[in-house]
Amino acid sequence: MVDPRLTIARRELQTLRSEKTIVLALLIQLFIAAFSSFLVVGLVSLYDPGSVEGYETTVGVTGDAADDLLRVVDDQPSMAGVGYASQSSARAAFERGEVDAVLLADRRAGRVFVTATAPDGSVRTTVIVVQLRDALSTFERVERDARDPYLSATPLELPPRTGSTPYYGFSYTVLLPLLCFLPVFISGSMVVDSVTEEVERGTLELLRVAPVTTVDIVDGKVWAAAALAPGQAGLWLLLLDFNGTTVNHPLALLSVVGALALLVVALGATIALLSPDRRAAQFLYAVSVLVAFGGTTLLPLNPVNTVARLAVDSVGPTYPALVAGYVALGGGAYLLLRRAVPRIGLRG
Amino acid sequence: MSGRLQRVRDGVRSVARIARWEAGRSVGVVDRRTAILGLVALLLAGAVGGAAMATGGVALDRDVYRIGIDDDSQYYDVVQESPALAARPPDVDRLGRGLEVVVRDGRFYVADSTKARAALSTFRSAVRRHNLARMRDESNGSAAFPVVVTLQYVDRTRGGTVVSGSTDGGDRDGDGDAAGGVGDASGADGAEDGSGPDGDSGAGGGVDAAGGSTGDGPLGVPGLGGAAGGLLGGGTSGSPADISPPFPFGALVLAFVFFIPMNFVIQPYGSSILNERINRRGELLLVAPVSPAAIVAGKTLPYLATLVGITAVVALAIGGGPVSVAAVAPIATLYLAATFVGGMFARSFKELTFVTVSISVFLTSYAFVPAIFTNVTPIALISPLTLVVHDLQGTGVTAAEYVFSTGPFYVGSAVCFLLGVGVYREEDMFTQRPVPLKFLDALNSRIRGKRSMAVLSALSIPFVFIAELLAIAVLFVLPVEVSVPLLLVAVAAVEEVAKSVHVYAGFRGPFAGQRGWRMALALGALSGLGFFLGEKLTAIVQFVGLPNLTLGRAAFSSAGVATTPALGLLLLLAPLALHAATTSIASLGATRDRTSYLVALVPAIAVHAAYNLAVVSQLG
Repeated sequence: MVDPRLTIARRELQTLRSEKTIVLALLIQLFIAAFSSFLVVGLVSLYDPGSVEGYETTVGVTGDAADDLLRVVDDQPSMAGVGYASQSSARAAFERGEVDAVLLADRRAGRVFVTATAPDGSVRTTVIVVQLRDALSTFERVERDARDPYLSATPLELPPRTGSTPYYGFSYTVLLPLLCFLPVFISGSMVVDSVTEEVERGTLELLRVAPVTTVDIVDGKVWAAAALAPGQAGLWLLLLDFNGTTVNHPLALLSVVGALALLVVALGATIALLSPDRRAAQFLYAVSVLVAFGGTTLLPLNPVNTVARLAVDSVGPTYPALVAGYVALGGGAYLLLRRAVPRIGLRG
Repeated sequence: MSGRLQRVRDGVRSVARIARWEAGRSVGVVDRRTAILGLVALLLAGAVGGAAMATGGVALDRDVYRIGIDDDSQYYDVVQESPALAARPPDVDRLGRGLEVVVRDGRFYVADSTKARAALSTFRSAVRRHNLARMRDESNGSAAFPVVVTLQYVDRTRGGTVVSGSTDGGDRDGDGDAAGGVGDASGADGAEDGSGPDGDSGAGGGVDAAGGSTGDGPLGVPGLGGAAGGLLGGGTSGSPADISPPFPFGALVLAFVFFIPMNFVIQPYGSSILNERINRRGELLLVAPVSPAAIVAGKTLPYLATLVGITAVVALAIGGGPVSVAAVAPIATLYLAATFVGGMFARSFKELTFVTVSISVFLTSYAFVPAIFTNVTPIALISPLTLVVHDLQGTGVTAAEYVFSTGPFYVGSAVCFLLGVGVYREEDMFTQRPVPLKFLDALNSRIRGKRSMAVLSALSIPFVFIAELLAIAVLFVLPVEVSVPLLLVAVAAVEEVAKSVHVYAGFRGPFAGQRGWRMALALGALSGLGFFLGEKLTAIVQFVGLPNLTLGRAAFSSAGVATTPALGLLLLLAPLALHAATTSIASLGATRDRTSYLVALVPAIAVHAAYNLAVVSQLG
């Protein structure tokens, strides 16, 4: 005879399939991933115009420090400067659209006062302002070097500029942990629903008269939910890899996800057993997961950081010990739950 | 007359009674054990929040990049200060295997990999931050910060309106030309209407102070209150590092606080709706002498009141005014309306969870994406959150803007509730029918004759808006060559489905006996007409409410500048012909069965997409 726990687990997964909710779950995750990429790609291209090709900004420069400023502006990537003799001619060129921005630089009292004029109310405004800031920061460095004798400390030389994309860090430290942990949270929520629904519908009575113990019932539900999370995470890792984001240590990553799923699912099951009304149980589950997850991010070895460092291959040779720690944590929580179930019991 | 009044009074009374009962029951489920658990969880949440505040936030990218560096190097402090960088012994041989960058004798050795380049770029910004912090400690302010920048925004299209409020630093300097680049009259104008990206919010005060101190004397330390200036709407003066684009980061983060309670409140609301449907519990209420609409209103009212109450408290706490509450209320209503429909359609708690998660995700993103562009383009107003950002920045909101951005939310909520109430009856509530069938039932309950086709088409427009915006968000990550055609197809698909799904429902319901091709064409044409009228109405509202919206101008000038009146009429009527034709194609398929409906959608979408492509390439 088949293990009754497996039968229960299979039944759980079958309802998911027949309701097609798992499809919805995957769609939600895909949407969140695409959406956060949209946000980051969009924002980064606004903030770091160098990463967007084809933006050449022309700047009109005028004032008595114009020559020095012009030299810096011309050195900037994708920026060109045009000198104007007077402020009104620069202004007129700006109005005609010949230049994208105007810089008026005057030397007064040992400083350079720059009035920057940028066009208002267009998407390019942001790009132009960022480019102006970069150019003026470089200009500030040049001017500061000239005043070096008056400074008690010399600013450090900047490391060389690289053509690195800013999405690199985002993919590993935000996107990948997001895709790994969303399935974990969804699994926990599923177990809460599954247990509370049996109680609400009264089908628990039927399960009780079957030759299974309460531990078996909970076991079946926990197995089904906990197994789903690493499966989905694996799918995302494949997709990321396919998209050009190399994921290192995939097996260690999936072990961590599986262990955390077991931990969160055990937590969800405990909450649902203690408080079998769905409204209260879901609320408690959401708050405690938020607390647990938010709390751990304060620790030096938090799950998000662990996942990111495993994927980007910034872990030392001792990483198997770390993974084993997570597995022990998840297994421990599960064993605790099994011991607690007979004591709490299932309240119908 | 008095009879009608009496009926209304009775209705209100029964709604109030059900609302009281619902509120009492929801509080009743919280037994002592749950209350204690909740209290513990909330206390823990508070402790975690406090710890996060105390330790200065979280670093998700801690030690992601490893830098080989000696502890007597001048860059050692930089590596120590930056959470993303980890200091390791400088062993050039291990470059690429355990080390990304090695700093030795003032030279940078970088491994040949994407990761190493990312590491170097992070290192570069860390050095820049470090330099800035050191310069702040310098006693000689003019040597440490030799450049003082004042940023102003000028509207080129309308001939020079200063929209930055920070030029008075220059004015106070007694030096007219520092601020005079814009012309006096327009300068006064800008100061008066204060509609600029930075406005006159609390941060504006900080910026003004900064501007003032730069004018006071040669050695006055420039106002480097970057934190205050950058929080709301971008800094506009100070050292070059202090100016930032008009991005309302702080206001957006604050606006997010409004969303947190919504996600918690829709959970019990959805449970409450679904609970009515489990084991026929809702039957007692259904046979009571109250209408389904009254039952739903009564069940919803406590949750809506809770949400509005929380919103008001949040608004008080973060400094928003009545505008914020009025802008968030329709979002809360749509949250509840969508959850209600989800609760009516879902077959189990699990399904309901996924439905509520989808609702949260979609509505949150719909509200957030446009609001990011608050200070950049008026299109941002399609999200009510933009109003909140304006309110927090102190830049004011007009009544037309309010109607424009909240209108779709009010209409959308009304439609959701109407659909849900339509299936609030025995044969739909207590059966386990698949979700699509329930949806068709809900549509059918609203079809009263042929005219309903046009009405339902027009009512679908808010949802079409939402779906199209989300399509843009999802397709954005793809390269332009792929994403633009895909987007055109997606838009066509969304619109075709929105126009024809109720026709399909009609042939499963009231029109089941009249499946001739004449009827199909009539219904299709009516549905297309309804959609066209709805679209044009939206365009007119846009034009009236947001006359300075460039897109709106473009749409109208294309019809206005036509060389002959005939051509203008053609341009106006072409979309009508398109909508009527494509919907007729789809409705011909809808007369038979689901397969033929889906098959007929394909040519309908293809025609629509081809039209879109033609329009885009003509205008582009």
